[in-house]
Amino acid sequence: MAGMKTASGDYIDSSWELRVFVGEEDPEAESVTLRVTGESHIGGVLLKIVEQINRKQDWSDHAIWWEQKRQWLLQTHWTLDKYGILADARLFFGPQHRPVILRLPNRRALRLRASFSQPLFQAVAAICRLLSIRHPEELSLLRAPEKKEKKKKEKEPEEELYDLSKVVLAGGVAPAVFRGMPAHFSDSAQTEACYHMLSRPQPPPDPLLLQRLPRPSSLSDKTQLHSRWLDSSRCLMQQGIKAGDVLWLRFKYYSFFDLDPKTDPVRLTQLYEQARWDLLLEEIDCTEEEMMVFAALQYHINKLSQSGEVGEPAGTDPGLDDLDAALSNLEVKLEGSAPTDVLDSLTTIPELRDYLRIFRPRKLTLKGYRQHWVVFKETTLSYYKSQDEAPGDPIQQLNLKGCEVVPDVNVSGQKFCIKLLVPSPEGMSEIYLRCQDEQQYARWMAGCRLASKGRTMADSSYASEVQAILAFLSLQRTGGGGPGNHPQGPDASAEGLNPYGLVAPRFQRKFKAKQLTPRILEAHQNVAQLSLAEAQLRFIQAWQSLPDFGISYVMVRFKGSRKDEILGIANNRLIRIDLAVGDVVKTWRFSNMRQWNVNWDIRQVAIEFDEHINVAFSCVSASCRIVHEYIGGYIFLSTRERARGEELDEDLFLQLTGGHEAF
Amino acid sequence: MGESSEDIDQMFSTLLGEMDLLTQSLGVDTLPPPDPNPPRAEFNYSVGFKDLNESLNALEDQDLEALMADLVADISEAEQRTIQAQKESSQNQHHSASLQASNFSGAAPLGHGTNVAATGISQYEDDLPPPPADPVLDLPLPPPPPEPLSQEEEEAQAKADKIKLALEKLKEAKVKKLVVKVHMDDNSTKSLMVDERQLARDVLDNLFEKTHCDCNVDWCLYEIYPELQIEKESVKSVHVRYNLIRGKVSSCKVVPQNFYLDNRGKKESKETNEKMNAKNKESLLEESFCGTSIIVPELEGALYLKEDGKKSWKRRYFLLRASGIYYVPKGKTKTSRDLACFIQFENVNIYYGTQHKMKYKAPTDYCFVLKHPQIQKESQYIKYLCCDDARTLNQWVMGIRIAKYGKTLYDNYQRAVAKAGLASRWTNLGTVNAAAPAQPSTGPINGTAQPNGQMPQAAHSVSAVLQEAQRHAETSKVKPARPINGTAQPNGQMPQAAHSVSAVLQEAQRHAETSKRPSPAVAKRPPMPPKRHENPGTPSGAGGGEQDFMSDLMKALQKKRGNVS
Repeated sequence: MAGMKTASGDYIDSSWELRVFVGEEDPEAESVTLRVTGESHIGGVLLKIVEQINRKQDWSDHAIWWEQKRQWLLQTHWTLDKYGILADARLFFGPQHRPVILRLPNRRALRLRASFSQPLFQAVAAICRLLSIRHPEELSLLRAPEKKEKKKKEKEPEEELYDLSKVVLAGGVAPAVFRGMPAHFSDSAQTEACYHMLSRPQPPPDPLLLQRLPRPSSLSDKTQLHSRWLDSSRCLMQQGIKAGDVLWLRFKYYSFFDLDPKTDPVRLTQLYEQARWDLLLEEIDCTEEEMMVFAALQYHINKLSQSGEVGEPAGTDPGLDDLDAALSNLEVKLEGSAPTDVLDSLTTIPELRDYLRIFRPRKLTLKGYRQHWVVFKETTLSYYKSQDEAPGDPIQQLNLKGCEVVPDVNVSGQKFCIKLLVPSPEGMSEIYLRCQDEQQYARWMAGCRLASKGRTMADSSYASEVQAILAFLSLQRTGGGGPGNHPQGPDASAEGLNPYGLVAPRFQRKFKAKQLTPRILEAHQNVAQLSLAEAQLRFIQAWQSLPDFGISYVMVRFKGSRKDEILGIANNRLIRIDLAVGDVVKTWRFSNMRQWNVNWDIRQVAIEFDEHINVAFSCVSASCRIVHEYIGGYIFLSTRERARGEELDEDLFLQLTGGHEAF
Repeated sequence: MGESSEDIDQMFSTLLGEMDLLTQSLGVDTLPPPDPNPPRAEFNYSVGFKDLNESLNALEDQDLEALMADLVADISEAEQRTIQAQKESSQNQHHSASLQASNFSGAAPLGHGTNVAATGISQYEDDLPPPPADPVLDLPLPPPPPEPLSQEEEEAQAKADKIKLALEKLKEAKVKKLVVKVHMDDNSTKSLMVDERQLARDVLDNLFEKTHCDCNVDWCLYEIYPELQIEKESVKSVHVRYNLIRGKVSSCKVVPQNFYLDNRGKKESKETNEKMNAKNKESLLEESFCGTSIIVPELEGALYLKEDGKKSWKRRYFLLRASGIYYVPKGKTKTSRDLACFIQFENVNIYYGTQHKMKYKAPTDYCFVLKHPQIQKESQYIKYLCCDDARTLNQWVMGIRIAKYGKTLYDNYQRAVAKAGLASRWTNLGTVNAAAPAQPSTGPINGTAQPNGQMPQAAHSVSAVLQEAQRHAETSKVKPARPINGTAQPNGQMPQAAHSVSAVLQEAQRHAETSKRPSPAVAKRPPMPPKRHENPGTPSGAGGGEQDFMSDLMKALQKKRGNVS
């Protein structure tokens, strides 16, 4: 034992006093002083500390942090000598897991306990396991951006902070599913709410907030984000993160493996949220038409998640059910006395016949809407001068199969028009149908939509389509008291759907709300049938199809060049981009890469491609470690295969992405 | 998925619509006979296609004879099927009833004296992806009776069966038939009756069989509009209804692969002056088509656009995106936010323009046309575009096809490859259908069709290629690491602190490989083909039993061959 003394009080062994602070790097913390020798094992030291503190507490998560060396003393069988610890070492005895506030891809804040002692890669994997996000290798943590000094005291709205810091996950086993969610979420109402926050899309953000949030205005702005990634191979403590700090959790590598709506509700939702915010904050550019589709999908997703239609009918195709039902119905009918009227209602295809006002835009005519007797049967629309002439030849007959149906509606203005673009061998015929009221409009509109898809009004979806259209119209009506009570304000039609929360701010500036709403609704037509998961997946796919998708920008200076340029890193290639113009100068594919090297001293990355092409650059906006980690990470992700399942080859990842400490 | 449910709905409404016919044929004569000539059928024909009558008239006598021979064969087959079905249900009365029904309603929509349309389905029905709403397959059968049925139940059962069968017949009869004229390469033509449910691929298969040519994947169908002087390559999975007016088989290259390579090849060659090897091609294909979403090739450049109603052409800068074609407005840059939408792909198809230099004074002869498939005369809704050279034209056309059809193209290609391999394999085994009659009017299509004796060789090469392709696919997966560890330098050569990942990776890779494969014998074989593209819910997964069967068979064959050689 260390600390043997002579009678006079002199120590006779080579022991010395070691001071250990208890707590998290707080200079005021209480401390204990131990008598140790160089041969003392860390485990023994830990035991002594606990004895000295003499407090009943679970110490199992505690370990010693060596402040000067920025290192955890985790090898309990190592001696102090082996670590090289002398009496002047400042040691802290503190917990390895500490609370942090995570800013999730959906911008919600979540408090949880993260490991401060494991390499970040493992810490993220543990966090993702807690949140039930598969494939944690695609995510990482960023430092929160430094808050700018506020000029005036703005009252930040108090936001809800979800708390998972008390939830402890049993190691090893995959979390069991209980009541439709991983079992560890179903403990309390609080954690249950947290799971809903994670697995369900958030409502559209406040347009004003959207305008206030910083947006990148240039390529060099877009490089800022990527300078904040934390290092995967070092622990949080080593990177200067303190308990209670805010960190961002984001998908870092844009290579999403095996995305499955059934098993991945949280992952899919968070990915959708990240994509959505990317678009809303103009991190990635898209065209006007694309933005309308994104807005329509967001609107649809929000509608579904609000109405709680999260669960889907388990695997059965509704169409198939209809068929089954109809056939069994048929059998019953034939079995029984087969009353003709019932059979009639089954077999005859419903028709619509009514007086509508029709307008056909033609060159050199200024005719307006004219009243006609219109008959809509199967997928064909015929119109006559009057009802009396109906048995005769119609003025015109149009088969709506394959036509384009565009709503032209202004609820507050009581205008219910349907614009039809009917293709014919001669070209498109354009025709407008004007209905009197919502009911009439909904019936005809539903018929037109079905007909354009080649279905008739006998289709089982007709009734639901009519209902959907009516619901839609009521959404566009002013919120509280109906159209009568409100003056026709500028965004009277936007109550049900605030289009400004769905599009990037530059479209807010470009369009008025009442211009945006019809365009979004038009795009919504094409996606209205999707389920929640399908809609999210479609959103993600459309995002992935954007030309600029998945490119992380870093400012670099190429060897031999005098000006800064942008290096874009995507999942399959490196792109050299002109900083000023934004043009792609050159593209190198990873598949042609032979090796890459990092010279940590001069902060230079050198890459060799096939055909003896060599590229070298130094990193300006971010450290070369981040570039190195991106390249290694993408190489790692490309080695994944399904056969290996969820297992992660962590060593390979760390070897590919980390490693400058090793040399 | 969406399509299939749509199909179901459609089928459902068809079924409902035909129930009066059914009840009538079953002897319930309370209903008046249905209108024998629904206007819809007439309308469709006048819109879409040449009238059947007209096209039949246009045929030459020998064509007609050949066609009739086919039809008779079909009819007898259909009858056989019916008889078989009848055996199952063992209801005598039922046979005549259903036949009657099919004859009746079959003739009705056509509205012509010919009753050819009542011939039931073609022999290729089995090749179709099983239609989701095929009543026989999908009907909810009453649960199998565990104990002997009572008489009542038996009756009910028989009746249900009867209904099912009748419904099926009705459905078949209602399907529209078209006669198309196929122009062969040797200037001969061949008339063919196609079923609107058939896919272009099925028609091709049909042709293959009739003409004894190799089932090469490079064949495709072309549709030609003489009036507009445009032509279009058919997409293999689109129903013929939309695709065929007068088809022409020509030996053009089909699927994305060639294009893609071409396209990328050019880009690469600019930089490296070197052609890509097969391995890279495969990985590129996989990367573009097998991810969660389709990567549309980055295409942009100046094209000529014909101005509405004029014979003048304006040069504009166009960009291809997944959502459509865009152009750069005057005085703007080509960043996403400035682009203006030119056209989106939902309602248009793409066609090659032929001889537009003459007809519309196009700057070059490399034109393509975007229009709604139903528009067949000149109209302001048809967009004419003109490229500088053939290569650009090809890139744009294929790029647009990728953007429009996405993964289906790739799946079709894969299926075609599998089928070609299988077909040649069958030939190899000597199971050629000897019954296929000699057609004097149709010569070898590309002039190089071999006599049957040479087929085995060809078959071998095809499947060898296939195998190789597969192997490529397999190796390409490990590839990112391979070029690296191939040239790993000793660390000592690195300047001071420089860090080489290659050695580490190499080691790790080796480690991973050995740990994954326990026995050295297995280790020699490449791992299973990459599973990445097996996205749940994509057509390949949902394609149904037939396709799975195909691929299983292919795998089995390959395995066998692998063991032998």
